[in-house]
Amino acid sequence: MKKLLVLLISVFLVSMAYAGKVKVGALVDLTGPTGDVGKPYAEGVRDCVRYFNENGGINGNEIELLMVDYQYKIPQAIAAYKDFLRKKVVAIHGWGTGDTEALSKFITKDKIPYFSASYSEHITNPINNPYNFLVGATYSDQARIALKFIKDKGEKKTVAFIYNDTGFGRSPFFPDGEEYAQKIGVQLVDKQVVDLKALDATSQLLNLSKAGAEYALVQETYMAASTILKDAKKLGIDTKFIGLNWTFGKTLIDLAKDAAEGYYGTSSFAFWGQSDVEGIKFLHELNKKYHPDVTYREVNYIQGFSSMYVLLSALKMTQGELTGENIKKTLESFKNFSTMGLTAPVTFTKESHKGVKALKIYQIKNSNMIPVTDYITAD
Amino acid sequence: MNYTNCGEFQTSYEKDAAIFKSLFSKICIYGFLISLFVIPFFIDDYFLYLFNIIFIAVIGAVGLNILTGITGLISLGQGAFIGVGAYAAGYLANQYGLNFIIAIPFAGLITAIVGMIFGIPSLRLKGLYLSIATLAAQFILEFIFIRAESITGGVTGLSLDYAKFFNISLDNDFKFYFFGLSMTILMVTAAKNIVRTKIGRAFLSVRDNYIAAEAMGINIFKYKILSFGISSFYAGVAGAMWAYYVTIITPEHFTIGVSIQYLSIIIIGGLGKILGSIFGAIFITLLPEVLRFITDYFTSSYPFLTQAFASIREAAFGIVIIIFLLFEPEGLVRRWNLIKAYFKLWPFSY
Repeated sequence: MKKLLVLLISVFLVSMAYAGKVKVGALVDLTGPTGDVGKPYAEGVRDCVRYFNENGGINGNEIELLMVDYQYKIPQAIAAYKDFLRKKVVAIHGWGTGDTEALSKFITKDKIPYFSASYSEHITNPINNPYNFLVGATYSDQARIALKFIKDKGEKKTVAFIYNDTGFGRSPFFPDGEEYAQKIGVQLVDKQVVDLKALDATSQLLNLSKAGAEYALVQETYMAASTILKDAKKLGIDTKFIGLNWTFGKTLIDLAKDAAEGYYGTSSFAFWGQSDVEGIKFLHELNKKYHPDVTYREVNYIQGFSSMYVLLSALKMTQGELTGENIKKTLESFKNFSTMGLTAPVTFTKESHKGVKALKIYQIKNSNMIPVTDYITAD
Repeated sequence: MNYTNCGEFQTSYEKDAAIFKSLFSKICIYGFLISLFVIPFFIDDYFLYLFNIIFIAVIGAVGLNILTGITGLISLGQGAFIGVGAYAAGYLANQYGLNFIIAIPFAGLITAIVGMIFGIPSLRLKGLYLSIATLAAQFILEFIFIRAESITGGVTGLSLDYAKFFNISLDNDFKFYFFGLSMTILMVTAAKNIVRTKIGRAFLSVRDNYIAAEAMGINIFKYKILSFGISSFYAGVAGAMWAYYVTIITPEHFTIGVSIQYLSIIIIGGLGKILGSIFGAIFITLLPEVLRFITDYFTSSYPFLTQAFASIREAAFGIVIIIFLLFEPEGLVRRWNLIKAYFKLWPFSY
């Protein structure tokens, strides 16, 4: 009993000592099904907080990052959210589609600015979700830009969609991608479902090639994307694949090896190798300082860093008290805010909380990710 | 002073099946219930939230325990049935503007019908075979959640309003607590009574020896389907409550993981015991939070350990469950009975 009392008192004292700091919550997935991309993302988030803390924090106040690994489980996400509120966070950086949606009503009611790593378009509408913000092109925009790219480049202008049958997988195509293809006159010839953990996509690819798709848009993560590329090479299919952001990165090249040659990807974030970008140069320096043994960072790290960078910059720029309303007002005044080139300039307005609408299309050439376009938008 | 008997001294079946076996136990249970109604005035939202999800888990688990623990039919589809209840409540509320007082029982009934349909194979299938058939139900229902967009809203999900009770909107944890608690008391009492009536005894006989049960004139098929129906009704009510709690439901809520979680709740709590479902629901709901609290505590002082602790936590969850099954295979409810027996027999525990 005595021990318990001592423990309780010490916990209380520790929590008292943390008072007066600016608290920011972060929901991350380190050990759940999306842990492969979640881990580097979380490191990016953490490094960004560290960088801000070493450079004056939020106007002199230290940032305390409350990071919770919620293992991609919705009840745990809600529990963590309630815990964040209890600890009085000023803003939260979230993760997946399902949990962001489940939390969206709470967020609106509690007026908590909430950044998300799910690029699902329907949470960016400020009428329904006034406190949700997104840095990075939405899945729908990525699909639209890729379709536009096909339209400009294609000969036959036929396209197929490859996706997994989840909210994440269907989000870019139904109905946004479908409608846009029709609008700009790209013919949708096939739709194929490939599971996120698929190790074989032969039958789907045979169907796809029978349908005569010149291009195929791929909404998966690394594993399924590499399966698709390897099987396509094995079958000698000449369809050109364009992957959306979670399929495209160095991990894919490692997994698919030479089958990845010529693969296109959409990304609103710069890659580690693009040392001509100011932000990347900055991150190289930062990593040399913080993690001397790290030589390469996944694009997910850069995503996490840039998203947190925007959030913390907003906190820094907020006039007066750090309330949800004030932070929202600051964010909505962001116009062409520079992320040092890590993304296209970020703009939030009262009408749209899509921070970034532009992205570059990259192609894998000699195992390097080379940009083949400048920043382009769907508009 | 002697509050309880130190052995079985009942002289009639009625006394043996009584809920309150003595005045003392009656006072204890009523006292406990009253304290549950007082607690929310003293705790914050986070703890209220934990209570609320425990309430929902208790209802779902009691249902599964009637099916699996008492009737002996393993089900791996409880998560999907909970989903059916959630979507049914959401659809009824959105399309027909039904009040939650009507929508929740209706959602339960709809889920009961769906459960009974998927229960039909149980006449021919037993044990592992049946668990695979219910697993199929899980996948079929998940598929429908994603595809039946006009009802479920597809992957975008279904959004509904907070439950309204005489102009009081149950829009925060505090208000929901009282609703959740009342529903839990109602549903648990009902379950307790189902178990000690003819239906419950029929379920038990089906579990223990279905041939003997049939020889005694019990219509096995009827009772198996009834068990599926009752169990799914509970799942439906739990799902509907979850829907009114989070007010946005997407297919990601009702995966196979949820089904497995409910199965572990009743195994850890105690198969075939209503009280076991309550213990199990509390245990499984709080375990991740306790583990998170411990990891948070360590990682706040040693941030570089976050990664390691995150993995340890996942393993710890599994290890705790294995240890439990090793040392308390009959579940928490047996430990509870041992504790009670200790006090009953004290100081002459031989």
